[in-house]
Amino acid sequence: MDSSFSKRSMKIIGATLLVYVLLVAPHEGEFWPLSIYPMFSQAGNPWTRAMVLDVTSKPDADLWEPQLLQNRSSDVVAVGEYGVDQIDFSNFVVKTRDWTHSRRQALKEMFGPSSISGDRWMVSKVRGELIGRDSVSIEITPFILLTADSTFINPNLPDTEYGGLN
Amino acid sequence: MKWTEKLGNQLFDPGRDQSPGEVVFFKLFELFVVFYTIKFAWEWGIYTDLRNIEVVLPLGLAKYIDVSIFFENQLAIINAAFITLLSIMSYLRFGFRWQYMVVMVLFHVQYVARFSQGEIPHSQNLIGMAVLCFAIGAIFFPDKKKMPRFVMGSIVFFIGLGYTSAFFAKLIGTGLSWNDGRHLWLWIGEKSIDILSREGEYAPNFLQLMALKSTFVASVILLIGWLTELIGFTLWFKKIRPFTTLLLIGMHMGITMTMNIRFDAFVMQLILVGFPWYILLDRYIKSTPDLLKRIV
Repeated sequence: MDSSFSKRSMKIIGATLLVYVLLVAPHEGEFWPLSIYPMFSQAGNPWTRAMVLDVTSKPDADLWEPQLLQNRSSDVVAVGEYGVDQIDFSNFVVKTRDWTHSRRQALKEMFGPSSISGDRWMVSKVRGELIGRDSVSIEITPFILLTADSTFINPNLPDTEYGGLN
Repeated sequence: MKWTEKLGNQLFDPGRDQSPGEVVFFKLFELFVVFYTIKFAWEWGIYTDLRNIEVVLPLGLAKYIDVSIFFENQLAIINAAFITLLSIMSYLRFGFRWQYMVVMVLFHVQYVARFSQGEIPHSQNLIGMAVLCFAIGAIFFPDKKKMPRFVMGSIVFFIGLGYTSAFFAKLIGTGLSWNDGRHLWLWIGEKSIDILSREGEYAPNFLQLMALKSTFVASVILLIGWLTELIGFTLWFKKIRPFTTLLLIGMHMGITMTMNIRFDAFVMQLILVGFPWYILLDRYIKSTPDLLKRIV
C-alpha cells in the first residue's frame, strides 16, 4: 500500500461525509446509522413520561387526583413483565394527540388480552421539572383508566388533552 | 504534505504491510459486526411483528415510505431473514460487491420500522456505521489488503466525528451552562421513572445519590463527560487512540451508572477498534490461515 491509497480513502471519506451531512441536515440530525448525536443536547427542559398504577383498591373519589411521586399511594405495574418496551409505551402515551377509541383499545391490548383481568389500571403521565434553584418536582397525573372491558378518560382534564375527540 | 494526507496516514497507515494478525483480527471484527447485525435484525423484526401497531414517529426512510406495512404479513421477519442471509454471504465473500450496501439499506428499513414508536436509540449506531463502512469498502476497495485497512480507518474516523459532534450539539442546544448539575438531576429523575415503570421498583445507586446531594458533584460529572466527547476526534491519531478509547469507555460507564443507559455493543466495538490488537495477535500467529486468505 502507498500514499495514493490513503489519498483515495480520504476522498471517499470526504464524499461519504458530504452524503452524511445532506442526509442528517433535513432529518433533525438523525438518519440511522448517521447521526449528530443530539440526545441530551437541550438540557434543563421539563420532561413527560408514562407509567401504569394499579388502582384496583383505590376509592373512586380519589381515582383522578394528581399526586407527587413521593406521595404515591398505588403500586406501579411493571410493564416489562408484560413484554412491553417502556420507552415505546411512554412515547405512545405522551406523543399520541388524538385518543380515538381504537388508540385507547391499542393501549389496552399492548398488555395482552387477559392481563388486566378484574383489576383497574391507571395509565398516568409523569412530568418532571426544575423548581427554583435546588429541587426537581415529579408529578403524576391520571390519564386513562383501563379495565378488562373498557377505557375511561380523566374527567378533570380538558378535552384538548385527548385531541378534542371525546 | 496536506493535512488530509497526514490524517489519511494516521487513519489508514499505508506504510505498514498487512500482517497475519491484522487479517485474523479483521475477520474476527467482521464476525462481531455480522453477529450483532443479525441479532438486532431479528430482535427488531420480532418486536415489530408482535407489538408495533401504528407509526408514531417516522425516522429516516420512514418519512417517505409507509413502514407500517412491515407490521403485518411477517414482512419484518422476512426482512430479518434476508439480512441474515446476505450478511453471511457477504462475510464469506460469496456474491457481489454491492451486497453489504443492500444489507445496509435493509438494516436501515428494519431500524425505522422497529423504532417508529417514538424512541430514538443510539446504542446500535456503531454497528450500523460499521456495516456502512464495510459496504463502502467492499465497493471501492475490493482488494484483500486495502479493504481491511479502509474499513477499520473509516470506522475510527466516524466514531471520533460522532463524539465530537455530540459535544457541539450540546454546546449549540444549551450553551456553556449545559453541565449545570441540576440538569443531571432532571435526567436522573426521568430515567428513574422509566425504570420504575419497567420494573415496578427503583433505587438510586451511590453515584446517583452523590449527584443528587450536591450540585457541584453533578456538575463535575457532566463536565467530565462533555469534555471527553470533545476530544473524541483524537481517536483519529494512532498514538493517542488507545488513551482516548479508555476515556470514552470510562465515560460510557459513567453514563450507565448515572442515567442507567447501557451501551453493550457500543463499548465492545470501542474496545475492538480502539486498540492495536493485531500487534498482540502477530506474536502468536506467524502466517495467515488459508481459509481466511480466501474470505478477506
